[in-house]
Amino acid sequence: MVTTIEEPRIRPEWLLGGAITLLGAIIIIVVTLVLGAREDEPVVTPADATALTAGSCAENLRQPHWVPEEVRRAVAECPADISAGIGRTTAEDHLGTWVIYLLDGAENAETFRGDPGLAWPEEEVRAGAYHPASTITYVAYAGSAELSDELSGDNVTVEWEELTESGREARVTRVDNNGYGPVRVEWTDDAGSYLLLGIIGRTPTGSAGPTVAELIRIADSVAANDE
Amino acid sequence: MPTTRTWLQAGGGTVAAALIIAAIVQAVNSSAMWVSNDPVGECGATSGGAVVAAQNVLWAGTGLEPVDGSWDTESDVATKAFQAYNGLPVNGCVDTGTWVTMRALVVSVCDPEFDCRGPDHRVRYTAAGGVRDTYFAENDCDWGSFVPPGVARSPVASNEVIALSRDAVTEIECEG
Repeated sequence: MVTTIEEPRIRPEWLLGGAITLLGAIIIIVVTLVLGAREDEPVVTPADATALTAGSCAENLRQPHWVPEEVRRAVAECPADISAGIGRTTAEDHLGTWVIYLLDGAENAETFRGDPGLAWPEEEVRAGAYHPASTITYVAYAGSAELSDELSGDNVTVEWEELTESGREARVTRVDNNGYGPVRVEWTDDAGSYLLLGIIGRTPTGSAGPTVAELIRIADSVAANDE
Repeated sequence: MPTTRTWLQAGGGTVAAALIIAAIVQAVNSSAMWVSNDPVGECGATSGGAVVAAQNVLWAGTGLEPVDGSWDTESDVATKAFQAYNGLPVNGCVDTGTWVTMRALVVSVCDPEFDCRGPDHRVRYTAAGGVRDTYFAENDCDWGSFVPPGVARSPVASNEVIALSRDAVTEIECEG
């Protein structure tokens, strides 16, 4: 009598391999879901903009208490960082402290793809499709009592605007290129002099960057809350 | 036969003299290195110190590189992108309006009333991937641009101030 013993169709090593693969797939899915959930967490502009520099070298700087809601984060650079970056300026007590506020949103994001050149279609370039990220630059010069030299030119307007909350006045310099271009807001108080710089940028869908009114409100929030 | 003391005195005197000469040379260079205009290449509409300055701003504003003081297609495209975003006529010509717009982006690094010499102004663009800085230097009558390392290409050198006239804006690639 001949007995035929059939080998099992599913070999144990296959089972082990399958289990490991399944486990790996589950781990990948779980990690992806967790990271994705973190990215989706809404980032809210803090009620007081000074929270944006908390823990940085500019934490105790006289600085804006209000910024536009598009601002999600700020990057601070203090005199020691600037001096080290330049490498040949040692007068740290005469250097300003910089806080750069980055504006969120597609229209405010940098759109460069590679270096400028023929790969950038002419029509897109003319429409303003290739532009840098929109930011608001704030510089505080502690102990200073003066503003920068006044800019002049056919496309430049200089006006003094009253900061309603603080009662101070700020010099507003606009390079007005058909409603677009750089805007500088500068003022002084008993502790130093200050500058805000933003660019009202022209994009294919409208404009990017802060408005003049927003820059003035930021300036007022520095002066009013620190009186 | 000179004694050991004589040799030591002679050596010390030589070292002291060399240090004094080096200090004088350094002082002369630091005060005079950016008073002559357009020392890069040929002076003119498409090369020179004014071109370096414009390319410097375009590097920060559009990522143009290298900065070499010679106008080319990339510089033209970068200028057009800069003009379009800033609401200027898009023609690739760095005229007074474009230069004034660039000039408005320059922020003093030092107290406005303090002369900290050397590169004391800068244009800074920040993006998610980092920052692009370019530096300028100012004295009573001149402006100079200071090209960051890694961006300059010969004949422009990094970490040297390239002078340009403050008042007389040299138009670049403008017809008429």
